[in-house]
Amino acid sequence: MRREGGLFGDLDWLVVFLYFTLVALGWTNIYASVYDPVQDQNIFDLSLESGKQLLWIGTSVILIVVILLLDFRIYESFAPILYVFMILLLAGVLVFGREVNGAKAWFEIGSFRLQPAEFTKLATALFMGRYIATTNVKLTDFSTQVKALLMILIPIGLIQLQPDTGSAMVFAALLIPLYREGFPAIYLILGISAAVLFILTLLVPQPYIFIGIGSLTLLLILFQEKSRKRILSTIALMLVISSFVFGIDYFLNNLIKPYQRSRIEAIFRPELVNPKAEGWNLEQSKIAIGSGGFSGKGFLEGTQTKFGYVPEQSTDFIFSTLAEEHGWLGCAVLIFLFIALVMRLVFIAERQKSKFARFYGYAVAGIIFFHFTINIAMTIGLFPVVGIPLPFISYGGSSLWSFTIMLFVLLKIDMHRAQVLSRH
Amino acid sequence: MNIKHSILLRVRIAFLVAVLFVFAVIYRLVDIQMVEGDHWRQLAEESSLDYRTIKATRGSIYASGNDLLATSLPFYRLAFDPSLVDNKTFTSNIDSLSHLLSKYFRDHSSDYYKKKISEARQMKSRYLILNRELVNYQGRQEMLTWPIFRLGQMRGGVIFEKIDDRHRPFKKLAQRTIGRVNGDGKGVVGIEASFNDYLSGKNGEGLFQRVAGGNWKPVYASTDVRPVDGYDIHTTIDINLQDVAQNALLRALSTYQANYGAVVLMEVKTGEIKAISNLEKLESGNYAETYNFAIGTTNDPGSTFKLATMLALLESGKVELTDSVDTGDGTIEFFDGKLKLTDVKRGGYGKITVQDVFEKSSNVGIAKLVTEHFGDNPKEFVDLIKETGLGQPLGFQLLGEGEPYIKDPSDPSWSGSSLPWMSVGYETGLTPLQTLAFYNAVANDGKMIQPIIVKSINRANKPVEVFKPKVLNKKIASDETLQKLRLMLEGVVERGTAQNIKNEHYKIAGKTGTAQRLVNGRYMTQSYYASFAGYFPAEDPLYSCIVIIDNPRGWNRYGGDVSAPVFKEIADMIYAQNLDIHDSFAPQYTAANNGTFPVIRAGRLEELNELCNQLGISNYADEQASDWVRSSVNNNVVIWKKNHDNTGLVPNVEGMTLRDAVYILENIGLKVLASGSGRVKRQSVGAGVRATKGATIELELG
Repeated sequence: MRREGGLFGDLDWLVVFLYFTLVALGWTNIYASVYDPVQDQNIFDLSLESGKQLLWIGTSVILIVVILLLDFRIYESFAPILYVFMILLLAGVLVFGREVNGAKAWFEIGSFRLQPAEFTKLATALFMGRYIATTNVKLTDFSTQVKALLMILIPIGLIQLQPDTGSAMVFAALLIPLYREGFPAIYLILGISAAVLFILTLLVPQPYIFIGIGSLTLLLILFQEKSRKRILSTIALMLVISSFVFGIDYFLNNLIKPYQRSRIEAIFRPELVNPKAEGWNLEQSKIAIGSGGFSGKGFLEGTQTKFGYVPEQSTDFIFSTLAEEHGWLGCAVLIFLFIALVMRLVFIAERQKSKFARFYGYAVAGIIFFHFTINIAMTIGLFPVVGIPLPFISYGGSSLWSFTIMLFVLLKIDMHRAQVLSRH
Repeated sequence: MNIKHSILLRVRIAFLVAVLFVFAVIYRLVDIQMVEGDHWRQLAEESSLDYRTIKATRGSIYASGNDLLATSLPFYRLAFDPSLVDNKTFTSNIDSLSHLLSKYFRDHSSDYYKKKISEARQMKSRYLILNRELVNYQGRQEMLTWPIFRLGQMRGGVIFEKIDDRHRPFKKLAQRTIGRVNGDGKGVVGIEASFNDYLSGKNGEGLFQRVAGGNWKPVYASTDVRPVDGYDIHTTIDINLQDVAQNALLRALSTYQANYGAVVLMEVKTGEIKAISNLEKLESGNYAETYNFAIGTTNDPGSTFKLATMLALLESGKVELTDSVDTGDGTIEFFDGKLKLTDVKRGGYGKITVQDVFEKSSNVGIAKLVTEHFGDNPKEFVDLIKETGLGQPLGFQLLGEGEPYIKDPSDPSWSGSSLPWMSVGYETGLTPLQTLAFYNAVANDGKMIQPIIVKSINRANKPVEVFKPKVLNKKIASDETLQKLRLMLEGVVERGTAQNIKNEHYKIAGKTGTAQRLVNGRYMTQSYYASFAGYFPAEDPLYSCIVIIDNPRGWNRYGGDVSAPVFKEIADMIYAQNLDIHDSFAPQYTAANNGTFPVIRAGRLEELNELCNQLGISNYADEQASDWVRSSVNNNVVIWKKNHDNTGLVPNVEGMTLRDAVYILENIGLKVLASGSGRVKRQSVGAGVRATKGATIELELG
């Protein structure tokens, strides 16, 4: 056993530095998005979101100290209990939760609101890590694969009932550590192919797609080994694909909500979308970002992101505030900080000796990466608008707390990486 | 493939995908911010920032005593963005919201609102005006508690657009004189139009930003040009007198089913118009203020013009009041029989004095006198009248004054019948206000002053411009003539054509007028223009007043029957309300000095009655007298008049003993603080104010 270097011994200071830089950036941008030049409020004003965010930041620091004080082993040992607890909370919020913006995603205790979905990501990552790390569990086994997918699908299902598509989607990020640990690539390939087909059906009229599928079938039959079995399986595959294409149409028209459909269309068929109605958020966000130009309008000088032009300005659309006031340069700095953080997390994950810790490290990196790319992509029209926050930057206690806990649990485990035996 | 190799490959693939995605993001950012930058910047400026006018607040119009006649109040137009709320909130609340809307506006069923909103929601409309009727501030506050609306603009989609609207607290009172403001905020008639430049102020300009739902929000840029609010106009209108005048006129018009009528009440010394009302019969049969007849309509004045004729006759020194005139059988012909004048009394008045001619309004007498004395020099007659200022426009403050017309012998239409015609008030055009100014001059010792309706123009209680009464003619006639004219005017009420308004409390002086109406160029024999012009109290005139009623129907249609009672109703009210006229205790002091009376001012009827009886002073209570009375003296008799009733209003305790005053005031819950000794001289809370329990009232004795 190694000597423990006090509370902060072996702490990864680079990650800590990146964390506080991002949090500080978030805080000033929240201030910028709610700042009213006439009232000239103070950034510490507790009636403003910036003042409240400072309280969340303060409590996060307390959380960090608590995490560093606790034994690093409890995260692995208590993972199943935590997971079950979070699943129960997710079920509970559907009954006792408070509806905000049409989603029952919040517990309300006094003036304090808590979003269990944010914390479920952490619990699921820990629980799956522990499961994968169990001896005899091999990801090449089909039953393991099913179990792993179920662990993700249960919270996804419960969150979709709220409904909160954005938060549910984030669980897909857990496929990244699974893949790293040997989850068959076919799942990812299938997933990506489905996404590509999905986009194709939106862009290309259905008859053309069927003609394409037909010609592809003919080509495959003509040019591959002409065994009866091969031909039949090829035709079967193409039939599955065709029905999937039909399915997408049905999905778009019947299963999802009209606003979701129009948000998807806003990306791929912008000409169909009314910028004054369904396209409002995206249009306003693009105007804000676009008008920022190369170097931006300057801190607190933004005109488009004040006064609630863009709904959810300080939360999901905080990026457009930054882009308007600090321009492309500001965006590049932010993206650089995030990439540096994610790469550092991957590096940390790779240096872990336990499978659990490594899986967890990849999960944290994956979730943060997923959050920041999807969030930015949605503000610039690369991805449909889904309500997920920009980690460490967006206003909101649940989001900041859950990312802080997620990150510092990893750092705590990393501090003790030498204390565990390799279980490769 | 060995495991290590496989893992390395997987990590690389994952990296590659991640890097691709990040590049896509950075590329798109470059695209939006730099390649398309200009496009977005332009959109940002065009669609969301604009210089817009900031409307100046229009000034208010006040009556004397600071009662508001017209003011601009913020009202709101209710609009709604039906796309904002989620389905669940919408479906569970739309019924109650529609119900509340229907209940509030009372114009459509709740189904109508529900349908309207639901359709707009389906159309994904972001802006829907729910009702064009404006909502006031209280209404807005109430609506903000309604379902969906209570979520506010950002989440609930309710939009209140502020619109300044003109508000007239006294509604129809002096409506036409106050005037109207059109949709662009410009005054179109009345004071609103005549003083529009003062009232409107100067609009400012400011940078505004468009927010969700097509609304505009100020950016508060330093480039703002601040609006300059309009000035306030303080008028001479007295709300109480206006109310009395308007009601009296309305009653008379309804009784006689007349076409239209007008009344103007003026303060003799200052020329201030205290009340001005114009009512015209609408097709519906109701009366409304549609046109300012008093100012804008010239008409043959008829017999009220005989005052001017008399002035000319007396001023020329050619007649005396006692001269006798033979009016014969009541008919006379002029201009080879082309003009036949008749008197009202069948068979004529016979031989009467000049004074009788005026008081009985004998057309024959007047025409005879004028043709006799001015027949060979009509210009002298016309000039004598014109020298008074009659026939000149008054230059009144309101736009649209009718052009007066007094025929001159040089006029090509002058004929042999013109002089007699003119002497009885035809072939002449005067507005009621112009006639009134002339009568006012007679009441005001010959000083003709311009009537005014706007006293001052203020900026926040500070006068910017004050209008002083302008003297149009220092002396319209000699004192001797004026005294004779006033004597005859009093005679009209005492003995003449307006005997019906004679009363024992105070004297009215005036002249009736009954002109035949000129319809399509012909004077109609059975269609009249009935008027009464005069002043009161006759001895020391305070107010002058003119009443005109066009085309009264029924049996009694002469000026004395139709218009004079309206005059009296107004005069009565002033007499009853104005202590300066009737309830000053002056006559009692005189009586006390003579040794006839003790000075009795006010107190409890029972006690005062007993006191007077013991002293042997005849006294009686008038019909309306109640427990508490104040005294009024008439010919050595004390009349007890009602002093106050227990309606919760502060009574007039002036003149009472402290004991009585304290008793009354404490009975209605006021706390009394008294200083000095003697009887109550002044009370800190005026009579007629609603009494607040526990409030303090200070009494000054002396």
